[in-house]
Amino acid sequence: MIKYILVTLGFGTLAGYLNNNYAKVIDNNWVSSYLFDFSLILLLFVMGFMFAADEKAVAKLKKAGLKILGVPFSIALGSIMGGLVGGLLLGINVVGSMAVTAGFGWYTLAGPLVGQLFGANFGALGFVVNFLRELLTIVTIPLTAKIDNYTPVALGGATTMDTTLPVIVRYCGSETLITAFSSGFILSIVAPFTITAIAGIPK
Amino acid sequence: MVLNIIVPLVAGIAIGYFLRKRKHLDLGKVTIGAIVLLIFSMGFSIGSNNELLQSMPNIGFDAVAMVALALFFSVIFLKAFRKVVNLN
Repeated sequence: MIKYILVTLGFGTLAGYLNNNYAKVIDNNWVSSYLFDFSLILLLFVMGFMFAADEKAVAKLKKAGLKILGVPFSIALGSIMGGLVGGLLLGINVVGSMAVTAGFGWYTLAGPLVGQLFGANFGALGFVVNFLRELLTIVTIPLTAKIDNYTPVALGGATTMDTTLPVIVRYCGSETLITAFSSGFILSIVAPFTITAIAGIPK
Repeated sequence: MVLNIIVPLVAGIAIGYFLRKRKHLDLGKVTIGAIVLLIFSMGFSIGSNNELLQSMPNIGFDAVAMVALALFFSVIFLKAFRKVVNLN
């Protein structure tokens, strides 16, 4: 399946590039917004449906209980730690690099917000780092799902509430729906506050 | 966010709950088809974003290193947390 994901992604990228730069066959928005939203909405509906219809998945969630709320906080700390170590190794401003990885994969937030707080260079880094996080998560799910059900959730960060959710559930099973969604949801809520709070650390 | 994420998910859960006794629904094919559409449109957004494509070579290395570290520590920290609270 990873082959199909990569081929589809490559084909989509090529189509987007050609359409944007050479032949304006369709409006970019038509695919980037409408087709994207349509497939995402359909997938989220189907995933919710399959979860509720799966009695084992519901039972498993009840057993895990409130412990799953600790999942996003571990991921948040790990992400910021990655930024800290990355900043030290690459010799860039550590506060800035922590703010970059505190986007947790939400690149449309991290790009502009980090840019505003740390300047355009960090803004570009914030965008690309978090964009790559989503991309790497989605293409490696067929592999990382084999490690355990939580590894793709850890990789996905904030994206596990929307774009990467359907693919995670497809590979890890319905029982992962609420864990992945709640983790992504909490990380999405805390991301703007975390980035802003990190920016308050004296440089 | 509420309209295109929460509403379809909650609607799916509600309808799935009412239809849970019917075991003949197989949505596997719909899922695969929709995942292909989703990933295609993600690729399309990348390909049609010249700014993103241009910034890749300049900051690509730093970005890859930082993503790799963020992912690594996220997995490690989550593993440690699950061990502590015994979450399987």
